[in-house]
Amino acid sequence: MFDISVITGNWAYFARGIGMTILITTAGMLLGFGIGFLVALLRTATLLPLRIAVGIYVEVLRNIPFIILLFIFFYGLPFAGIRIPSQVAGTVALALFCSAYYAEILRGAMAAVPSGQIEAARAMGLTHLQILRDIIVPQMWKFALPPMAGTTTTTVKESSVLSTIAVSELTYQGLIVQGMTFAPFEVFATVAGLYWIFTAVLTWGFHRAERAVGSPEMTEVIRSKVARKYLSLDHRM
Amino acid sequence: MQFSFEFMFATLPALIRASGVTIEVALLAMLLSLSVGTLLTIVRAFKIAIVNNIVGLYISFIRGTPLMVQIFLAFYALPSLGIRLGPMTAGILAISANNAAFMTEIFRGALTSIPAGQIEAAASLGLGPRAIWLKVILPQLYMRSLPAIVSECTVVVKGTALLAIITVVEVFRTAQQIGSSSFRPFETFAAAGLVFLIISLVISQFGMWLERRYQLRRGT
Repeated sequence: MFDISVITGNWAYFARGIGMTILITTAGMLLGFGIGFLVALLRTATLLPLRIAVGIYVEVLRNIPFIILLFIFFYGLPFAGIRIPSQVAGTVALALFCSAYYAEILRGAMAAVPSGQIEAARAMGLTHLQILRDIIVPQMWKFALPPMAGTTTTTVKESSVLSTIAVSELTYQGLIVQGMTFAPFEVFATVAGLYWIFTAVLTWGFHRAERAVGSPEMTEVIRSKVARKYLSLDHRM
Repeated sequence: MQFSFEFMFATLPALIRASGVTIEVALLAMLLSLSVGTLLTIVRAFKIAIVNNIVGLYISFIRGTPLMVQIFLAFYALPSLGIRLGPMTAGILAISANNAAFMTEIFRGALTSIPAGQIEAAASLGLGPRAIWLKVILPQLYMRSLPAIVSECTVVVKGTALLAIITVVEVFRTAQQIGSSSFRPFETFAAAGLVFLIISLVISQFGMWLERRYQLRRGT
């Protein structure tokens, strides 16, 4: 039934594939987070046209299937006179895609920081940059991390679409092995299993990070020693 | 080469015609996943350990693997188990199986928001499990998860674009065909993006209308 030799005989393909998937998703997520952060800041800009432009950017990227975004981007680059390898183009497209989701999350997370604190900081003469760096960013994580976990696993899953522009990531390698072995069941079960492991590790990592920054509801409890003694059930805190 | 808006708009009629297939697939997948999601929610409420573990594993698998790989599993791998499906059927099956898992999670969330007192009241009035599910829980479950269901709708529509890879001729596949025969892929894919944008917009507007309409019934 399940021919294990398909996996053992071609493990190098799968290994290279998951390596590439980890590389492009990590690069895409970091770049996407950077763009998303900027976009989130621009959405609070005082200049109305800028705010509208950024809003359209987010809505367009969120409402078009990633595969079409990828193709628009991939075939649009030559128009702009840019020729880059498909791995790079794919990674940038992935980054643009997740930046729209990160932007929405970060905007919400930044808005969730109590406005009184920002007013107080401004009254004490802190500059915009100082407020952002010392007041908003350190506190936004507890609001941002839980939804970011979802977006990040979505990004990993969407990276499989890059196989359509011949980026040699996990799904693409799977298609190659299936072309050689004609064993689609074994191949795609293996590919699915590897993605499953990768997303499970990511989810676990986010859980750890969430515990480290504390959940929004529990912040008050964690801060107060007395409250923590009675109201927290987690012995590690 | 210059970007030709003329060409982009000229491709729209063909793409809009192809969107019939996209909408058909999305509607069927939505109906299927809503039913399977409801069924799995009720089955889970029976709290049979083995069954719940299997459902849990299913949800974890679906959430942890790409839809694209699930589509490949349905189209390429199922035949080796003796189940042969056409691209359209395999595609609808994959998207429904995918979305049903997310639907079950949505329902699980909505279930916890139903006040316990209602179930106690229903039971004390002598309603059986069947009536409690059908008359008390499910109507409210759907109402409470309406915003999430609507957003799942757009997710399903976006997912249908992936069916182009297994040769279902929907909007994206049509765009690929036009793009490669006209050597103007950029304009064609931009037009396809526009079609999806419009569909998403219509769905979200419809969702808002539904929400307004049922706001009173939802009691919020």
